[in-house]
Amino acid sequence: MLSVRDVVKAFGPVRAVDGVSLDLFPREVVGIIGDNGAGKSTFLSLLVGFHRPDSGSMVFRGRPVAITSPRIARNELGVEMIYQNLELSPDLTVWENLFLGEEIKRIGIFSDRRRMRNRAAEILRELNLKIGPLDIVSTLSGGEKQAVAIGRAILFERDVVIMDEPTAAVSVQKVEDVLGLVRRLKAHGKTVLLVSHRLEDVLSVADRIVVFYHGTIRKTLRNEGLGVSDLVHEMF
Amino acid sequence: MSGKSAKGPRTPDAERRRAYRRLLLGNPGAVRRPLLFLALAIIVASIVSPSFFTVRNAVAVLTSSSFLIVVAAGEAFVVLVGMIDLGVESVFAACGMFAAWLYVIQRQSTGVTVLLTLLLGIAIGLVAGLLVTRARIPSFIVTLGTYWGFRGLALLFNGGNYISPNAVSPIRPFGFSGIAGNLGAIPILIVVMVGVVAVGQVVMTFTPFGTWVKATGSSEEAARAVGIRTFVIKMAVFSCSGVAAALGGLMITAWQDSIYPLTGQGYSLEAIAGVILGGIPFSGGRGSIVGAAIGALVIGVINDVIVLVGLPALYEYIFVAVILVLAGLQTRGGSFVK
Repeated sequence: MLSVRDVVKAFGPVRAVDGVSLDLFPREVVGIIGDNGAGKSTFLSLLVGFHRPDSGSMVFRGRPVAITSPRIARNELGVEMIYQNLELSPDLTVWENLFLGEEIKRIGIFSDRRRMRNRAAEILRELNLKIGPLDIVSTLSGGEKQAVAIGRAILFERDVVIMDEPTAAVSVQKVEDVLGLVRRLKAHGKTVLLVSHRLEDVLSVADRIVVFYHGTIRKTLRNEGLGVSDLVHEMF
Repeated sequence: MSGKSAKGPRTPDAERRRAYRRLLLGNPGAVRRPLLFLALAIIVASIVSPSFFTVRNAVAVLTSSSFLIVVAAGEAFVVLVGMIDLGVESVFAACGMFAAWLYVIQRQSTGVTVLLTLLLGIAIGLVAGLLVTRARIPSFIVTLGTYWGFRGLALLFNGGNYISPNAVSPIRPFGFSGIAGNLGAIPILIVVMVGVVAVGQVVMTFTPFGTWVKATGSSEEAARAVGIRTFVIKMAVFSCSGVAAALGGLMITAWQDSIYPLTGQGYSLEAIAGVILGGIPFSGGRGSIVGAAIGALVIGVINDVIVLVGLPALYEYIFVAVILVLAGLQTRGGSFVK
């Protein structure tokens, strides 16, 4: 679905991403692991349009693309990033956060609040969540906030969902809930890129695991019989 | 004991207290809180001054408060994005002086006068917004600059003197003075004030722009992450504040049938007090234009009671200070203004 070929991104003399090539397919979870400074975050920023590669190419559904902004990544390519700090507006309601920036309009400039609330309620039911569309996001638990962020990806039918440390800010009991949501995204036909330092979480859901090292992909592993120690060995 | 540990769930007692508080006051930013403040102010005012609670006095209070309420409605947009506009009182005076100068001394038509005055308010807001977003100067400093700068400009229009229709011969009554007239039994100033607040609230509640304003105040990073151009939002809210101040200046010029360079002194802080009292925290992100209007009306009620009881005007500052602190207590938890 999305092919990245030989992308390079340098910041001054530092080549943060140094010739990375990666193919992404529908209905799979790809774990992205690597030490700090390995180039994971920079590579993801290229996929979501925060930075432009210095060289290399990207092909989406067979046509060359240039991801020049988060808006293009989201609206034209269906790439959504769920940030580690979730990037939700804490004072807004769940439905306002779900539709933020992509509100359904009525008579030109007015928001169709009822339609958005109803659609939000559907998404929350689909995700099996016990929160309502009118709940204020600041009152939600970490796992519920994560679910709201994931809800955006389902709501707008994003094809590629990038999750940056999704279980880092979640209580131990809620980790499995978040991983369940990842599996549900895959079942919806999405491609999930899961960036995490929690290797056991990556092993729990990933089909493939890509190991970043000094700006390049050191190895791509199929998640068959792997353990944490195997991944640690590849990372260093 | 607060009933709430730093990391654990609330105790049943604390939950019950929270539920009662929410029942009484509504959610943070809801209109219920400022309405409660207004009810309390009216009750106290009625006890202290029996002549307060009459229809005639109510109309007088609403009329005299209409200028502050319009200014507060504009200020509310700025505070909702977590910023502040300290210059509104000077823009209010400068635009009033500009309108009077245009009409009386420059002999422009009513339409041109009103249009150019409102455009001046928008332009001032845009410039302030540019300085905040592009030059990255904190709003506190930019609007402190507009506070001094436009007060100075107001003084320049007629050499520091007031402007009235008598400034020229033959006298030239303000063409826009109709705004100070009546629509049946209702002063048009009140109609304009209600209209401004209604439009502001409709924009906030029923348009994506309103949601983006709250989102920018709640978390600018989150707003930018979904593609909202927050610098445009910030410039727009400063324009709202500017045009509201300009409209207020036109209104008071019509009502007084004259305008002084120092008109509206204290309005900046009173408008901000009204906004905070109305439930919008300094950090922005939640609250309503109606709430801000009600908060400003509480200030107006206090001013009226002070006059009715015969207290010196300086007592207004003391009462507003007390109410501001009380209002600030109910919005605590927000960060300092951006």
